[in-house]
Amino acid sequence: MGIRLHQEPQLENPILVASWPGIGNIGLIAVETLRELLEAEEFGEIEPWDFFYPKLVSIRKGVLEYLEFPRSKFYFKRVEGKEIILFIGEEQPAEAGRMYAQGRKAYHMANLVLDVAEKFRCCRIYTSGAAVALTHHTIKPRVWAVPNSERLIPEIREYGNTVLMSDIEGRGGQGNITGLNGLLLGVAKKRGFEAICLMGEIPVYLQGLPLSYPKASKSVLEVLSHSLRIEVNLDKLDELDQKVERRIEEFYQQIPTEVRGQLDRLKHVAYAQPAEPGPITEEEEKRIMEDVEKFFKKRGEEG
Amino acid sequence: MSQGYPIKIYKEPDLRRSSLVMGWSSDMGYLGQKVTGYLNRKLKGEEFAEIEPEDFFSLGGVAIEGNLAQFSEGKFYVCQEYELVVFQSDSPGAEWYKFLNSVLDVAEHHCQVKELYILGAMVSFSAHTAPRELLAVVNSAEMKSALSQYELSRDMDYQTPPGGRPTLNAFLLWLAKGRNIPGATLWVPIPFYLAAMQDAQAQKKVLSFLNERLDLQIDFSDLDQEIREQNEQLAQVRSRFPQINDYINRLESNLMLSEEENGELIKKIEDFLREGD
Repeated sequence: MGIRLHQEPQLENPILVASWPGIGNIGLIAVETLRELLEAEEFGEIEPWDFFYPKLVSIRKGVLEYLEFPRSKFYFKRVEGKEIILFIGEEQPAEAGRMYAQGRKAYHMANLVLDVAEKFRCCRIYTSGAAVALTHHTIKPRVWAVPNSERLIPEIREYGNTVLMSDIEGRGGQGNITGLNGLLLGVAKKRGFEAICLMGEIPVYLQGLPLSYPKASKSVLEVLSHSLRIEVNLDKLDELDQKVERRIEEFYQQIPTEVRGQLDRLKHVAYAQPAEPGPITEEEEKRIMEDVEKFFKKRGEEG
Repeated sequence: MSQGYPIKIYKEPDLRRSSLVMGWSSDMGYLGQKVTGYLNRKLKGEEFAEIEPEDFFSLGGVAIEGNLAQFSEGKFYVCQEYELVVFQSDSPGAEWYKFLNSVLDVAEHHCQVKELYILGAMVSFSAHTAPRELLAVVNSAEMKSALSQYELSRDMDYQTPPGGRPTLNAFLLWLAKGRNIPGATLWVPIPFYLAAMQDAQAQKKVLSFLNERLDLQIDFSDLDQEIREQNEQLAQVRSRFPQINDYINRLESNLMLSEEENGELIKKIEDFLREGD
């Protein structure tokens, strides 16, 4: 079990952008969109057998034709003088019934991705995911950036629409990133790679829905393309966002009026600095969270 | 241990060209457990190996079934005289690839298995009075041809629907194909109201095929008696509860029942059969 390279492109200090599914598939859609826009070429994959349960069987006239596994593929592209490796994991190697990988398999997969980074002498790793936030779906999502080295902080401060954990109200620079989008950052640190995780904000009331959130993927890609100094046309994500937005609005209208009223107040959240009082008090924030939780609990019980 | 896989061999079986029949302990109608248990009983299967449980089963406690504490396990039995290996196991909850390869390791390296049969049950919305079918999915055209002389449905077309996952049986069949071990998964549809109980007719259907294919020369008189008893019990439920009789009549006429009616039928049948145990 390991890595299978179909070709070995000659690359000099490329950067690697990796993503696996997570809440709203924010990172995955961002990297998948980048792959499409750049027309990146597949050059390798991680063998799936020991990581994943198969996802599809095809039987024709009583004969088992093939079994398909979730794919974990590497792509590369030279663009505007940059060399980029993309890694897209279709699933996290999680235990049955879980979304996120953990333990031995997660660590093993993170190391395999970094083995490729090492082989091609990658100078930096980016991962991407979701940041569940007290925000509204009509507001442009910010990007929370978490580096694995102090050295990267000044650079991140130059990015637009981006915050560090210390900039987020009540976080005090703390938090955690669940699953491989986070673990890769840590394993990269252990192996001496500099890495940044870019997380697009998703409203807290959307985190449990089986919907993608392309609006946040777009925010992530804007930051990523700025950091990589490449130009990408993100119109495609706008189209996708409009479609998803309609479904979100349908869902939003089903939320009881009193809870919706609380959530509507999030439309007017102006981003506060830690030292300044926010437009929503801690008490109000707590109430919103309680109302949202109550609503989803009730919804879950009603099936 | 064998080839890095977590296998414990108690006694090397002396086999030249054996067949492996495997069943899961907890499938519908307990079909796998019942059929493998029957084969072991009738053909004097001797336990010779097991798969170590710690990588595959939850060991955070024990399940209780029928008042008894259970322990998940996967065990191999040999019926020497018939060149038959029987594997009876709980479904692993993790490390499926490693588990299934462990099974095939024992089959290939310790038993010289030439053919593999994997048992499975599926839900049927037909009445229990309809004859049981046997469907086969094979992993090679040669195996399909080898099974052409038997009374089997062998032309199934299927693709996993969105959101679904293949069965462990399909996974194992595919891995066997990769090792050039011809194999078949054998599926028996079981009436939905017997799915949580037992279906002796379904067991007989699979066993009859295996008996013929592997030349096991089994006398099924005991199983026939079980089938008669189960049919009598079901006839009693029908005569005692006109509503249940009506539901079954409708199933016999290929009519569907509502969800509520299905639920009522299942409950009544299960309660009655359990009382009779």
